[in-house]
Amino acid sequence: MDAAPDAPSSLPIPTAENDLQPFFVLHKASPPRKSAAKARRRIDLSPKTCDSSTEQNDDSLRLETFNSLWSKTESIIKDVLKNLNANVFDEIDKWVHVSFNAIRACRKLDCFSATSPYPILNSASIAAAGASRQIFTGLLFTKNMEFVDDTLTFADLGVHLRSNGCYVANLTSLDFSAKSGVGGCLKTLLRQFLMVGIDAPDMSILASWYTEQENYESPLVVIIDDVERCCASVLADFIIMLREWVVKIPLVLILGVATDVDALRNILCSNVCSYLSVREFALGTPAERMDAVIESVLLRSESFSIGKQVSTFLRNCFLRHDGTLTLFIRALKIAMVQHTYGETLSFTLTKIVDEEGSKGFDGENILLRDIVLKRALNLPSLQRFCQPSARLVDWASGLSELKRLRTLWSSTVMCLYEAGKYQKISLLDLYCELLEHDQRYSGASDHTQLAKDKIVSSHNNHFHGCLQKEGYVIRAFQIVRDLTAVKLCKLLNRWELLTRGIKEIHEKVKELQALMKSEENRPKRDLKEASKKPTARNLINEKTAKTTANEKVATFLQCMVRQYIQPIESIPYNEIIFFNNVDKLQTALIGDPRRRIQADLLESHKFVRCSCCSKNSGVPIPSMHDTSIMYSLAQEHGDLINLHEWFHSFKSIVSLPPLQAKRRARASPSPKKRKNSNEPQNRNDAKIQAAFCRAVTELQITGLLRMPSKRRPDYVQRVAFGL
Amino acid sequence: MGRLNPAEQAKIILRSRISSPSFVFSFFSQSPDSNYSKLKYIISSSVTEACNNSVLLLGPRGCGKVAVLEIVLEELLKEHPDMISVIRLNGLLHCDNNCALKEIARQLCLEHHLMFSKMASYDDNSQFLLSMLRECGLAHKTIVFVLDEFDLFTQGKQRLLYSLLDAMQSITSQAVVVGVSCRLDADQLLEKRVRSRFSHRKLLFLPPSREDCQRLVEHILLLPTDSSLPNDYTAAFNAKLLNILADEKFKGIIDTLCYSDSSVGHLLRFLFSAICHMDMNSGFLSVKNFKSALRSMQRQPKLEALKDCSVLELYILVCMKRLEVKELELCNFNSIMKEYKSIHDTFQTSDYYARNVCLRAFEHLLERALISFEDNKGHGQSAEFRPVKLVISWHELHQGLKSHRSCPAILHKLMDREG
Amino acid sequence: MGKEESPQISRRTTRLSSCSTPSLKAPVEASKATNKLQSSSVDDLVFHGECISLDELINSFPGRQTKILELINLLGPLDSPLVPTFLYGGASTGKTSIILQMFKHLTRPFIYSSCITCYNPRILFESILNQLLLHRKNESNGYLSAKRCEKPSDFVNLLREALSTLVDSLKGNPGKLSSKKSSSQVNGRMVYLIFDNLEVVREWDKSFSILPLLFNLYDILKMPELGLIFISRTSLDTFQSDTGYVEPFPVYFPDYTEDDLRLIFMKNQANPKLYSSFLDLVLRPFCRITRRIDELSTAFLPLFKKYCEPLGDLGAVPNEDMKRKLFSHLQPFISLSLNETSSVSFQPLLKPSANKDRTLRKNTTKKLGAFETLDEIDFHMSTSAKYLLISAFLASRNPATLDASLFDSTGGSDNRKRKRKGSERSMEQKETKEQELLMKGPGTFPLERLLAIFQCITSVAEYLHDDEEPQNAGLEAEGSASGLMSDILLQLSSLCSANFITKGGSCPLEGSTRYRSTISEDMALKIARSLKFPLSKYLYRR
Repeated sequence: MDAAPDAPSSLPIPTAENDLQPFFVLHKASPPRKSAAKARRRIDLSPKTCDSSTEQNDDSLRLETFNSLWSKTESIIKDVLKNLNANVFDEIDKWVHVSFNAIRACRKLDCFSATSPYPILNSASIAAAGASRQIFTGLLFTKNMEFVDDTLTFADLGVHLRSNGCYVANLTSLDFSAKSGVGGCLKTLLRQFLMVGIDAPDMSILASWYTEQENYESPLVVIIDDVERCCASVLADFIIMLREWVVKIPLVLILGVATDVDALRNILCSNVCSYLSVREFALGTPAERMDAVIESVLLRSESFSIGKQVSTFLRNCFLRHDGTLTLFIRALKIAMVQHTYGETLSFTLTKIVDEEGSKGFDGENILLRDIVLKRALNLPSLQRFCQPSARLVDWASGLSELKRLRTLWSSTVMCLYEAGKYQKISLLDLYCELLEHDQRYSGASDHTQLAKDKIVSSHNNHFHGCLQKEGYVIRAFQIVRDLTAVKLCKLLNRWELLTRGIKEIHEKVKELQALMKSEENRPKRDLKEASKKPTARNLINEKTAKTTANEKVATFLQCMVRQYIQPIESIPYNEIIFFNNVDKLQTALIGDPRRRIQADLLESHKFVRCSCCSKNSGVPIPSMHDTSIMYSLAQEHGDLINLHEWFHSFKSIVSLPPLQAKRRARASPSPKKRKNSNEPQNRNDAKIQAAFCRAVTELQITGLLRMPSKRRPDYVQRVAFGL
Repeated sequence: MGRLNPAEQAKIILRSRISSPSFVFSFFSQSPDSNYSKLKYIISSSVTEACNNSVLLLGPRGCGKVAVLEIVLEELLKEHPDMISVIRLNGLLHCDNNCALKEIARQLCLEHHLMFSKMASYDDNSQFLLSMLRECGLAHKTIVFVLDEFDLFTQGKQRLLYSLLDAMQSITSQAVVVGVSCRLDADQLLEKRVRSRFSHRKLLFLPPSREDCQRLVEHILLLPTDSSLPNDYTAAFNAKLLNILADEKFKGIIDTLCYSDSSVGHLLRFLFSAICHMDMNSGFLSVKNFKSALRSMQRQPKLEALKDCSVLELYILVCMKRLEVKELELCNFNSIMKEYKSIHDTFQTSDYYARNVCLRAFEHLLERALISFEDNKGHGQSAEFRPVKLVISWHELHQGLKSHRSCPAILHKLMDREG
Repeated sequence: MGKEESPQISRRTTRLSSCSTPSLKAPVEASKATNKLQSSSVDDLVFHGECISLDELINSFPGRQTKILELINLLGPLDSPLVPTFLYGGASTGKTSIILQMFKHLTRPFIYSSCITCYNPRILFESILNQLLLHRKNESNGYLSAKRCEKPSDFVNLLREALSTLVDSLKGNPGKLSSKKSSSQVNGRMVYLIFDNLEVVREWDKSFSILPLLFNLYDILKMPELGLIFISRTSLDTFQSDTGYVEPFPVYFPDYTEDDLRLIFMKNQANPKLYSSFLDLVLRPFCRITRRIDELSTAFLPLFKKYCEPLGDLGAVPNEDMKRKLFSHLQPFISLSLNETSSVSFQPLLKPSANKDRTLRKNTTKKLGAFETLDEIDFHMSTSAKYLLISAFLASRNPATLDASLFDSTGGSDNRKRKRKGSERSMEQKETKEQELLMKGPGTFPLERLLAIFQCITSVAEYLHDDEEPQNAGLEAEGSASGLMSDILLQLSSLCSANFITKGGSCPLEGSTRYRSTISEDMALKIARSLKFPLSKYLYRR
C-alpha cells in the first residue's frame, strides 16, 4: 500500500498493441526519486507526526478513505457509461431479432436440414441467389480512433444480447491472426458457443450444435471487437465461410469499427463486402461520454474534485494526446490516491460525504479530532481568510459552507451547460473555464469589454491555452439571449429540474418560468389581433417581448455566475476537496520514459549521490557507470556515431592515468573513490571492450541506439529524440 | 438382370472397359518386345532365381506404366502363388520416411497376417522391415516394392530409398524395387550412395503410335460377341463402328487428337466422351459423336473466360493491353484507371463507371485468372497499388473480342490500332 | 445403438426436407420421414422426398438445358463407371445447384464437401469420412469425427476401407433396380465424391500434395465404383503442379447470357408483366457491368421496390403510359445504383425493415454524405494523432530528398520561399514523379523521418496559430512538441492499429521497421482542415 503513492506512473508501453487493457506499470522508481518523494511526503505529513499510533491509524484511515471514494466513483462511472450505451444496445437488439426473422423468412429452418454438408436448394435460392445469401452485419462505430475505451463496451453488448436470448460469441482481432488462420477464430467461436474445446473446428459442428439446442428459435450473434486490427485475409475467409452456412445457421455479425465505413472497404475486397448487408450503429462520441462522466463524478457527487490546473491539464491530455476516457479515469484515480496521501485532512472526505463532518467524530477518539483541528489550522486557505481559531464549530460550519458553495457552483455550471448544449459547448470546456476564472464575470453584463479583458487575461495567465477568445460562458449567455421562446421554456424546465433542492436558485427559476408563461400567452393574443389588423407593431412587440424574456433569463444567468462562481481558492477548507497538484499527477500519468532515461543517463550523479561525480557534473569520469559515460560521450557525435572513435574515447576515459586519478582521489577522499582510482591499472583491454559492448547493448535495449546496418557496419545511429 | 435396352448395356460395357486399365493395356501385352514382357521377365527372374532387382518405369502420364505393372504382378501372383508379396507406396502419400516405413510395415503385416501396431517407432519399423526381408529371403518369398511417383521419394534425404536398396545388398534378402515416375530424369535425382546401389534398368513407356491408336480404339470399342447383348445388335454395332473407323474423317479426328496429346489416357477420355454422346435411340456410335467428343476435349479456357467477361471487364483488359504496348515498366489498378479515363475522354464512350465499380470488375478479372498479380508478396499494400499483368496474349484477346457477343466497336478499333 | 440411432434420423430427414423445392413442405415431410426409420442407413447418402423428373430439373434451371443433358450423359446409366469430371465456370453459374439437383433426380449416393467449409486437409478428409461412415458429430460423441485423419496416407487407407464396405452394402442393397419409383431406395452401386470450390485448395499450405492427391485419387484407389466430380471457378490450367496429374474430364459452365438472366429473374415472379417491364429497363445496362446473378439480384431488389413505389396494387398489369411513368420515376436511381454496384450493400439503410424507400434515402444520404465528407471526420482523434497522421501522409507522399527544402524548424514564414524553389524543381520532374507515385502508391519511411517531420509540422503549427486564436494553437500548453513527444509512440501504435499507418517488421526499436500511411488524400485534407493546417503547402507537386 505504501508503494502506491510513490510510483503509480502509468504508461501503457508503446509496443503493447495487442492488449488494450489499460494497466499500471508499477516500475520500481529509481532511488533518487523515491527518496525525494518520501522526503516530500514526510514533509507534508510532518505536522501530524506526534506519535506512531496516530500515524498508523492515520494511514489506515487514508487507505479506507481512498478505497471508499474510489469504489464509489468507479461504480458511478460504470453506471453512467452503461446508461449512455443503453439505447444503442436496445436498437441493436431489435435489429438482431428483425434480421433473424428475415433469415427465417427466406427459408423455413427446420431443425434437421441445417446440418447437411451441401448448400440448401430451393427455388428461392436459385432465383435470388445473392439476396438470400447475404450476412446481416451491424457496424458499430466507436467514434474514437483509440480503442481502449470500448473494450468493455463490447463485453457489455454481449451480456445485453445474451440477456435478450441470443447466443453470443465475442471475438477480438487476436483471434483473426494470420498465424492461426481461419481455424483459430472458428476455434474461439465454437469454444464460446459450445463451451467445449475442439481441436478440429468446423462450421458443421456449430450447425449440429445449433440444431441440438431445444430452443433453436434464437439467433446467433458474433461480435468482433475491432475490425481494423484483424488480419484481412483471415477475416475474408471467415466471412466467406459464414456465407456458405448463412441460410442454415441464422447468424448475425456485429463488427466494431473504430474509424469509418471505408476502413471495412479497405480491409475486405469488394467481393466479400458484397456478402454483407450492412446496418450502421454508433456509440456516443468520447466527448459526450467525457461530459457525462464529469457531470456525474465531479459535479453531482460532492466528495472529491479536481482543481483548475489539474482539470486544464486533463483537458489538454484528452484533446491533444490520447482522447481516451480511460486515461481520464486513470488520472482521476491517481489524483485521488495522491490526494488522499498527500493532503493531510483528506480522510475527512468520506465524513463530508456522509453528512456533517463534525458529527462524524463522535464515535472516534478525541485525539483524532484535535489532530484534525490542528491540521485544519495550517490549511493555507484557512490562514488566508478567517483568523485561526481551533474551534469545532468553525470547522463544522466551514465544511457545511464549503458544501453549500460547492453545490451552488456546480448547479450553476450545469445550468450554463444546459444553455450551452444548444451550440454543442462541451461540459469539459465550460468546467475548465469556470474553474479558471476569477472575479472577471462580476459586473460583466455586456460581453464585449468582457471579451476584451478576457483576451488580456488569456495572454497574461499562461497555463490555459485552452480558452477561446470569447469564453464559453459568454457564448452561453449569447445563446440564451437569442433562443426562441419555446427553447427557452425547455431550458427553464431543465433548470427547474436541475436546481431542485437548491432554494436560492430554484425560486428564481420558478419566477422566470411563470414569467415565460405570461410571455407565451401574450404573443398568442398578439397573433389574434394580428389577424384583425396586420401591422408591424405586433411583430415589434413580439420581438420586444421575446428579447425582454431572453434578457431576463440571461441576466439571471449572469448574476448566478457572478454570485456563485467564485474561485475555489477563496473558499476555506477547499484543499480538503480539491486536488490541484498538476506536476505530481503529470509525472505519475505520463512518465515520459524515453526522456527520463536520457536525462538520468546524462546526470546520473544527481541520484548516485557519490561524492566523486557530483562536483564535476557533465564531464564523464571513470567512476561513473559505463552506460552513462557512453551516452554522455555519444552527445558529442551527430546522429551517426563511429564505433571506433567512440570506443577509443570510452577507453581513454575509463582508463585514466593513475596520477590524474590520484589527484582526484586526493581531491575527494572517499573509500569508494579510492577503490576505483586504482582500478584502471588492472583493467585490461578485453575488460574494457566487454564493458563497451555491454553498454552499447544496454543503450540499444533502452531504444536510444540502433545497431550498425549492413551498409555502414562501423556506425551506430542514435534514435534518441526529444530532450 | 433387369431389362435394360441393349444400347444402355453396351454403354455400360464400354464405359467399364475404358475405366479398367487392365483391360485396356492387356492390348499391349500381345507383342513380344513390349515393356510388358520385359518387365515380366525382370520380376519373374528375380522370383525364380531368388535375386534382388530394381527397375524404373519412366514415361509421360497416361501411358500405362502402372497398368502394365499391375497386369504383370497379377499374372505372376497367379503363376507363383504365395511366393510374392507386393508393397505399394505412392510418393504423393508416403514421401516422408516415417509414414512410408509405417505403411510398409502395415502392408507387410497385412500380407503375413501379423499384428500391426500404429505406435511403432521409425526404428522399430525399419528393424521389422529388415527382419521381414531376411525371413522372406530365407523362405524364398519375393517382396516387390512398387514406388509410384518415384520422383517424390527422391526429395529430401532419400533415407527410405537408401535403406531399401541397402537392405537389398545382402544375399539373404530377395526383393524387387519398381519405381514408377513420369519424370524421365528420375534416376538422375538419386543421391550417389543410392544410385550406386540402384541397378539402372529403365523401361521407357511411350505414347502409342498412330496405328496402335487405331487398333486400340478397335480393341476397346468393338463389343464382345459373347455377352448378354443380343447378337444382332452387337453385329450391327460392330459393323457400324468398323466403317466409322475406316472413315477418313474419323482418322482426321484421331490425328488432331493425337496432335495435342497422344497418350493413351487422353485417347481414353476422348472415347469416353464419345460414348457419352452416343444417342440412345439409335444405339449406335456415329462420326458426329466423335466430333463433339473432340470439341469437348479441346478446351480453350482463356477464350471461354473472355467470352464470359462483361463489357466493363473487356474495357479494363484493353486498357491493360494498351499499357503493355506502351511498355510502362509495370502497371497497377491506378494506371489502368488513368488509361480508362483517357480512353473515355478521347472517345466519349457510353460506359464510364465509378472507380469502385471498376475495382470490382478488376477483381472479377483476377478471379477469372485473365490477369494476375506480378508478385504474391506486398500484401501490405491495398490491391489497387499492387502491380498486375495480363496472362493472355494479344492474339487471344483479339480473338476473344471478336467472338464476344456484345463487344463495343470502339474496343475493336483500339485493339486494331494496337495491332 | 441408441447412440447411433439419433444421428441417422436427423441425417435422413436432412436430405428429405432440404430437397423440398417449395420450402413450405419441409415440416410435412419431416413428419413423413420420422416413420420411415427402419430403412437401411445407406439411404442416407441420397436425396429423399419425391424425386424430380428430368423436365422439372431442366425447367428449374433456365438456359442450362444442354449442360444438364450433357451431365446426365456423362453420369451415364446405372452402375456405369465415371472418369473423374471437372466442372468449371464463373461464380454463380449454377454449377453446384445443378449437380445437386441432378443427384436428386437420379437418387444416387453421393458425398459432398466444399473446400471453403473444409478449410484445411484434415477437415476435408474427416468430413468425407464422416459422411461415408454415416457418422454425425453431436453432443453425445463430443463433436468428434468418426476417424481422426490428418495424413493423406491415412486418408487413402481409411477411404478405401469405408468405400469398399459401403459399396458392398450397396451391392447387397435389395431391389435397387425396381426402385426407380420408390425414391427412398438408393440407385446403383456407384458412389460419387463431389469436391466443391476446388479453386480454394490452391491457397492451402501452398499445397503441392493435396491437389495432385485429389486429382490422382481415382488412380490411387483403382475403384471403378468411385465417381469423382470436381467443381471449381477456375479452369484446369490454373491448377499447376510440378509433375502434373491425370487430367479430369472438363465440363464448362459458361456465364448466363442476358436472355438466360431474364428467364431466371422472371422465374416465380408475382407479377411477371410488371417485372419484365422492369427488367427491360435495368437488365441491359447492368449486364454491361456484371452478369453475376448474386450481384445483379442484390442490385435489383431495392430498385424493383423503388420501381413499384408509384403503383397502387402490385398485381396490376402496367400499360404503356404507366410504364413510361415508372421509367421516368426509376431513371435517376438506375444510374445511381449502377455506379455503386460494388458497394451497394454498404448503404446504412439496407435494413430488412425499411427497405421500401431505401433507394430514395440512400440517395439523400449519399448527398449529405457528400458534403459531410467535405467538412468533418466523424470520429474522435486527438490533436497530436492528427498531426502525426498528417506527417505520416507527407512522409509517404513526398520524396525524402525534398524534406529539407519543404520543412524547416523555423516554421511557415520563410519556408514559402523554399517551397517555391521546391515546386519549380518539381515542375520538370512532375510527370515522372506522378507516374511513379501512381505506380508504387504511398512510399515507406523510417520512424526517424516521421518524427522529424512531425516536429517540424507541430512547431510550424504553433507558429501559425499563435497569432490566431490561441485555442487551436494546441501545442504551447506544456512545452509543445516535447510535451507531445512524450506519448508519440503510443499515438503511432494506435494509428497503426487503426490501419491508417501500416507497419512492416516487428519491433519499433529495431531500425528495420518502415511505415507507410494508407490514408487517402481527401482524408488527409479533411484532417488538415480540422486542424487549420495548410497541408497543400507541404504537398510535393500540388
